[in-house]
This record gives sequence, C-alpha cells and structure tokens, in this order.
Amino acid sequence: MPVISVKWWDLERLMGRELTRGEIEDSLPRVKCELEEIEGDEIWYEATHDRPDLYSAEGLSIALKGLLGVEEGLPTYRVSGRVVEAFAEGPAYRPYALFAVVRGVDLDDEAIRQLMQLQEKIHVTYGRDRRKVSIGLYDMRGIKFPVRYTRVSPDSVRFKPLDMDEEMTPSEVLERHPTGVKYRHLVEGRAEVPLIVDAEGKVVSFPPIINSEEFRVTESTTDILIDVTSTDLEAARRVLAIVATATYVRGKEIGRVLVHGPWGEEESPRLEPDAILYDPSLSSRILGVDLGLEETARLLSRMRMEAVPRGSLLEVRFPYYRTDILHPVDIVEEVAMAYGYDRLSPLIMRPLHPGREAGIEVFTRSLRETLVGMGFIEVNNYMFTNTNTLFTKMGLHGKAIEVENPKHEAYHALRTWITPQLLETLARSKHAGYPLKIFEAGDVVLPDDREANLAREERHLAYAVAGRGVTLTDALAHLRSLVELYGLKMSLEPLEHPSLIPGRAARIIIAGEEAGFVGEIHPRVLTEFSLTIPVVVAEINVDVLRRAFLSRGSR
Amino acid sequence: MDGGGGNGAPILETVYLPPRQKRIVDLVLGGVHDVDAIADSLGVKREDLMRDIEELRARGLLVVERRKHAVLSPTEEGRRYLEEGLPEERVLKVLSEKNSVERSRLPEEAARIGVKISPREAGIGLAQLARAGAVRFEGDKAVLVDSSAGEEAVGKVREALSRIAAGETIGEDEARVLRRRKLAAKREYTRIEVRPTELLGFLQERGLLREGKVITILTPEDIESGAWREAYFKPFDLSVEPPRAGYGRKHPYLEFLDWIREILVAMGFEEMKGPHVELELWNFDALFQAQDHPAREIHDTYFVKGRPKGRFDDHEYMERVSRTHMDGWETGSRGWGYRWDPERALRLVLRTQTTAVSMRTIYERGPGEYMCFSLDRVFRPENLDAKHSMEFYQLEGIIVGRRVTFRHLLGFFEEMARRLGLGEVKVKPAYFPFTEPSVEGFIRHPHLGWIEVFPGGMFRPEVIEPLGLKGYNVAAWGIGVDRIAMTVLGIDDIRLLFTQDVEWIRRQPRPLIKEMLR
Repeated sequence: MPVISVKWWDLERLMGRELTRGEIEDSLPRVKCELEEIEGDEIWYEATHDRPDLYSAEGLSIALKGLLGVEEGLPTYRVSGRVVEAFAEGPAYRPYALFAVVRGVDLDDEAIRQLMQLQEKIHVTYGRDRRKVSIGLYDMRGIKFPVRYTRVSPDSVRFKPLDMDEEMTPSEVLERHPTGVKYRHLVEGRAEVPLIVDAEGKVVSFPPIINSEEFRVTESTTDILIDVTSTDLEAARRVLAIVATATYVRGKEIGRVLVHGPWGEEESPRLEPDAILYDPSLSSRILGVDLGLEETARLLSRMRMEAVPRGSLLEVRFPYYRTDILHPVDIVEEVAMAYGYDRLSPLIMRPLHPGREAGIEVFTRSLRETLVGMGFIEVNNYMFTNTNTLFTKMGLHGKAIEVENPKHEAYHALRTWITPQLLETLARSKHAGYPLKIFEAGDVVLPDDREANLAREERHLAYAVAGRGVTLTDALAHLRSLVELYGLKMSLEPLEHPSLIPGRAARIIIAGEEAGFVGEIHPRVLTEFSLTIPVVVAEINVDVLRRAFLSRGSR
Repeated sequence: MDGGGGNGAPILETVYLPPRQKRIVDLVLGGVHDVDAIADSLGVKREDLMRDIEELRARGLLVVERRKHAVLSPTEEGRRYLEEGLPEERVLKVLSEKNSVERSRLPEEAARIGVKISPREAGIGLAQLARAGAVRFEGDKAVLVDSSAGEEAVGKVREALSRIAAGETIGEDEARVLRRRKLAAKREYTRIEVRPTELLGFLQERGLLREGKVITILTPEDIESGAWREAYFKPFDLSVEPPRAGYGRKHPYLEFLDWIREILVAMGFEEMKGPHVELELWNFDALFQAQDHPAREIHDTYFVKGRPKGRFDDHEYMERVSRTHMDGWETGSRGWGYRWDPERALRLVLRTQTTAVSMRTIYERGPGEYMCFSLDRVFRPENLDAKHSMEFYQLEGIIVGRRVTFRHLLGFFEEMARRLGLGEVKVKPAYFPFTEPSVEGFIRHPHLGWIEVFPGGMFRPEVIEPLGLKGYNVAAWGIGVDRIAMTVLGIDDIRLLFTQDVEWIRRQPRPLIKEMLR
C-alpha cells in the first residue's frame, strides 16, 4: 500500500492550527493510515488502497480537521459562477475525459510536491498504473477554452513534452522520452492517440503519457486546469473530485467545466455529496454496540459526513471523493473508527459445536508419531521446488504444475513427490552424521485433467534411511512395522524405477491398492545429489493407507 | 553382615576398595602421611594418585591437608645441564684431553671428541673453571692448571642441582650460587598430607577393609554370581560431558502447528480443507476483489503456467458474483461498475490466501451457525529472505451466525493471544477488500515492539450474500502463523522454518506453548 510523505508544518498550515505528535499518532490510525516514521519535519504514513483521497497533505488535512474537531461535517467549497467548456472526443479505447479548474492557488515547493505525489500515488493504485485513470495538472495561463480531448494520428502534431528542450510528435515521445517509453504500452499500436488541445490547437497534454512543458505548474501558477482521462467514467468522476478538492485546499475557488461528451453533457467536477441510506441498527448488528441516531450522526460528522434523519433511518451524505463507500457496511466502519476500536469490548464466542480436526490431519499426525517413535527426524520442505530436482536429477521425465511467473528458478513447480527433497535434505545435512533417518508428511500436487482445478492433490509420507551398510531391508523393516501398527498387511511387487537400483525396489500394495514404493536409491541419482552414502527410501500415499485403515474389518 | 557392634557403636559393613586405594590406606595407616612418599612407594606420580585420595576423602576415610612451601627447583637451563652436563664439566672434558686450547676453537675441539658445547656455554664453562683456579688464560689460550680443583667445583654444583631436582634441601651458599647462575629458582610447592579418619581406624580395627574387584560395567554375570557384593563400583566423573542420545522428533515448526490445531479445536472450531491450486473464482472473485485489482496481477499472485482454465458448473452462483461485481446485485452495494469476465474467474492460481477455503466452506455449508478454521499453505511471489517467503502457512478462520459481531472477532484475537501467551492485543482499523469493518491486531514483541499478527474483519455482504447468507454475519481472519511461530521458537529468519539442515532441526528446543502448561 502506498507510503505517503507530508511535512508537519505544511499540514499545520493547511489545518490552520498546530498539531502535537500525540494527535498525529492517535488520528492517523483512525483513518486506517499507519504511521511509519516521523523524522524531523517529515511524516511518513502508509495509506490504504480504498482511501486515495488521503494520498497527500491536502486530503489528510480535511480528514484530520474532522477527527480533531477543527471542522466537522461535509467539506464546503466556494464555486465560481463562471463555467468554461470542454469537449471529450477521445479514442474509443480511452473514451472519457473530465475537467476542473481551481483558481487563486498559492503554491510553493512543498505544495507542488504534494500535488505531484497525489497524482503519482493515484496513478499507481486506483489508476492501475494509468491504465484505468490518469491525471494532469496545468498552469491555465495561455490556455484558451474550450479545450478539447481529442484523438490524432501519432505523427500529426508536435509539442514540447515535459523535461525536453525540443518538440516531438507523440510517436517520438513514445520512442525517446523516458516517460513515453515507460507507458507506451497504453497506446502502442493504435492508429490514433489521445491528445488535449486548447481552442487554438495548442497541445496541452498527451494523456495518459505526458504533459506539455508549456503549461507546467510552477510556484508562480495561480490558476490550475485539471484533467482526468479514463476507461471508466465513474472512476474519472471520483478521481477528479479527489484532485480538484485537494487542489482547492490551496486555492480560492473551484471553477466548473461543462464537458460535452458522447455519453452526454456534464458539469465537472462533481462537488455535490453522494448519499446512502443507513439503518443505525446495522451498527449494533455488525459491531455489537447500540449507538442510536444522534450518536451515529455525531460520529459521522467527525468523519466529514453528514447524517440527516429519515424516519428511523439516516440519510448519510458523504463527499464525492470517497471512493470507498459502496454499501451501508462501509458506513459501519466509519462509525466504528470515529467511536474508536479500543472502546469496543471483546466478546468471547462460546463454542457453537464441538471442535474437530480434519480426519486426514489426525491420521497424518498418527503416522508422524509412529515414525518419530522409530527414531526418525521430521523435516519440512516447501511444496515449491523445480523440475530439475523432481525429474531430471531423479532420472525421470515428468510433468508438474508450474507457475507462469516464478521469482526464483529453484522454486517454479509444485512437488509431485517428496523423495527428491529428502535427498536434497540429506545432501545438506552431511554434518549431521550417519546413520540418519528422516521423514516428511506433506501434500503433493499432480497434474490431472479430470479434476476441476486440473490438479490432483495427495497427502504423502516419505522416509529415508542413509548410512554405511544400509540396504533395502532397512526400508522394508520400517515399512513392515508401520503397516502392522495399523493392523494392515502389505505385499510387494518388483518395481523397475529409474531412480532406484534394479532388483532392489518394490511397489507397495495395501488392501489391493497401490500405496507407494520402496527401494534403494540408484548410485547415479545419489551422485546427482552429491551423496556418497547409501540411501533407501519409501514413499506412501497416505490417502490409500487411510482408506485401507478405514475399511479394515470391525469398527 | 560381619561388622557392627553393641553399645551404640555404628553398625558397619565391609568396605571394598580397589587395589590401589587399599594400598594407599594401608600406607597411611602404617604411618606414611606425605602423598609424595606414598606416590614413591607405589611407583606412580603424585598427580595420578589424587583421584584416589579425593575418593577416599569423599568416603570419609582420609583427612587431607595441604600446605604450601617455597622450594628451590631447577630452571629449564638447570634441568638441561643435568642431562647434558654443566658447561664447566664439558670444558673440563675437552681440556683434560688437550691441555691447552685456543678459546675460540673450543666448540670445534669439543666436537672432535663427541662433546657438544655452544660458544656461549664454552664461555660460561671457562669462566667457572677460571674462578675455581683450574684454568688460566694465556693470551688467547686457555690452559688447564689444576684438574682436581676443576673436578671439585663441578662436583659441588652438580650435586646441589641434583639434590634440589630430587626435592631435597641444600645449603644456603649452594642455593645462592645456583640462583645467581639462574640454574635454580624459588617455586611454590604444595605438600599434601593425608591422615586416617576415625572411621578408617575403626574399620581397620574390625577387619572391615578389603580389596575388591573393580566394576566399571556391571555385567549380568556379576549380578548372577553375586560378585557385585565384594566389588568396588568405579564412580563416574560427573564433570565429563556425557554423549548425546539419538532420538526421533517432530519438526519444531510442525509440532508448533499441531499445538495451534489443538487450541483451535479446543475453542470449538472445525477444520476445513481446500486445494492449493485454486480457481481465481474462489481466491478473488468470490471475495469481491475486482478483476483489475492489483493483487490479482503477477506481482502478487502465482499463475499456473500456460494459463489453463479450471471448471466450475454452478452458473447461478457465477451469475450472482457477476452481478455483484457489476452493480451490487441484491446486496445493496454499488458494485464495482465493470463487466465481470467469467473466463477470468476460471483461471488457475496457487492460492494466495486460505480465505479461498473459507469461501468454499460457506458455499458448501450455506446458512447456519458454525465456526471453522484452516491451517495450510499459501503462495505469494516474494523473494526468499529472512523476512519473506514465497510459501507460508496461514491460519484462517470464520465464525458464521446470525448474532456474530465484530466484537466476537476482537474476542477471538484476545482469546487466541491469551492461549498462546502473547499478552495484550491492541487493535487498529485496517483495510482488506473483502471485510468491512476490518481490523489489525497487534501484539508486543520483546524486541520488535508492536507487531501485526491478527488481521481480520466482517465479510462484506457482497461476499456472503451471493453465497446464500442473508441475515448472517461472518467474522473472518487470516493469520500468518509464521510470525507467531518465530516468536515462540525464538528465531528471526523465516527460512529456518523450512530448513534442510537436519542438525538444526535435531537441536531446536521443543516448541511448547507455556500457557498451555499452566
């Protein structure tokens, strides 16, 4: 989740009052922000994905004002009577554009840093790395309305992009400008690219890639034009509300833009609050505390909302920038946070029924205890391994479930059997001395198209005995004792297996079902694992053993 | 029983001593008290006797007294001369062969007659002989003038040196000479004297002291024949580190997880199971995680290679999920406002959260009052280091019911922390896409301060209503138990939980949860 940095003094400036360290430490968690560090004037906090409005000092100041009682209820805005016009005629793959104007802003270095941070953090998260939503801020000086969000051939215009001294076409930007290279996948291969131009045809921006240097926002900027382009109209509205109201915190008035788009005409930004009907009994049903209408309304007001009684219900109005309010339960959380989680006393749920472990776990535990009783040491390997270990080193060809995007080559496939990892473990434990007896009980995954998830998962038990003088008899003796302890009988059939020495390997049959194998590891395989000591192994399908045990005569 | 006596005297049994100890007490009772003297008569070194002396003392048969003395003993140089001959002795040997020798050629001349002497030693020898009047220098030559004076001087020094080497005393003058020549030095020496105790005398009087067979390993034959009755059992030296016994054991982490299961079962939870290779449907869509949610991308989720699709036949459920994502369906939610792709939901991933198992459980069990847990592995694309792992265990749980509230979730955290002995739980608001309200529970770690261990929340209506739960609440959590395990096991590298070092596994202390033993 995004980590946001703000300056203590800037936050105080926006709040219009001093802030103590205690207030910061106490308030941030109440809006789900986790304070990471305060270093001198710099405050670092991690904000959540559902609150992009808190990705800068401006938005945070609005929320803190409510929590600290500086200003409660819905934020209000001074809206200018002047309305300018814009046209949205972008390409079909990115059809939406909305605009807003904020006048009379007072910017310094920190203010610009905050607005850039807001833009960047929203791009990365809610904007899905600009794919879904991208934002632009411009110095309005020199921009003639109506502005136009349009589509052009990538070689048809030239403009000077941010941080460049020369004019470029959109194609050149995608090829040579660092930002262009980074985001070119968003428009690459399209016959037409999006462009924002003013009434005189001057290029304002090439969304969602880069702005024009000509309209860069600087400390001398007083009026700002904001655009949001998007693949999702509602997302564009919410984001524009966030950015416009945040910018307004540093300005004097918001100006509306009448946008003519293929979806209709709309005045943007949306400043009217959104609303949801809330039944305060939901608080008691979900939180387990009875708060009543008045108390609920008071708490919501601290969260910068407004609750108006409608019979036994409340109409909760909340700022349009609150992207996270989807359902009345989201209001429950607001109520809970304002009330304070620490004031909700924990209740112990009495058992609703007797507890119960999964049968396979009970059986596995019993097997593990049997092996421990025989002097084996239990090991624990990842299910993740690689096909080289699973097959190649074992002298096999085989298939495993592999992942598309491994982080390490050593871990790209799910194990289909445990034996190879026991050999790895032995190879890494030469200092442990011999004889060494180890085992592991765990899940393996075999590709199987008959299953709904194309994988058959089995519980296996594998053990290995390593040491001078160890032979198949050592593996068989343990196997026989194990099987007999469960009142079962086994039979053995000769097995040819590339990992095992011919004539010293067997298939284990229990209750007529194949239950696994036992054998001496082939010296060729031992050499592959850099082992120079004989190793015998057995690997048993626990599900088969369990079935046999369950169908055993009597009870 | 051949000991004992009337008149209130203690009843004593025969004491069997090993041969050497028997000889020691015999000597002591015979009046030899100095341990050096005892050692001499037994023909062993004093050090070799000390264990026997100590045992006899411990059995109350001897009293041991130690006294420190300053004694003169040969230095290393002195000892060497005792072996090789004093320098003057060797020079004298040369001069008796050849009456006069050029001083600088003395070592060479010595070598010719098989005497080794260094130039320095030659100097010392000549000086000593000159002092005794046995040698005179004529220019560069040394001439033997009085052989017997030389012999006498050599004899005196040699005898003094030999005597102190044997621990005898010598006269003041001789001592001064040896010290000046650095052939002897004062050294502290502890004289040890042993005396019989009353008990020893008593045993001796009654003939209760006997020599016995020494038993190091008790044999069945010794037991059967009764030889043990007249035997001396060689005691063990407890200061010697014993060897370790071999043993089998559970893996400490898996044993810890066994305890966790036990705790959950005791609290009334039923265990649920689900596959590791999972449909995106259960891992994400059912959880109301939008299909363009960043957690569903390659940075956060492992996708099965080849992007195959699994199967799921309940089209009605798929339709409810689709509607919920789009416009909230009948849940009262706004939804995410996008067109949900059923094909995407069928793609296969390695489950990133066992919440997928909770989804399957609620789907199968439907409405009701129940509590379930799962303790299994999940996968996330992380670089494997001390703090991160691409595969780890998650402890997942749900409490389903009409009257289940957020406070029960907080209660679960508190109870869990109590049973694990983790102390106080602090809770803070948090965000998870599928719960509302959401919470993060912190515990105080001895080194790390407050650490997050209990994430959870109430499943959103958008999650549970499509599964058929209307009018029900579900408290849910998904705890990364590794962190708790690391606290209990006292380790700070998560990779150790999956180590391939058997020796490490063998040596780890057992992970008992103290709170369960109280």
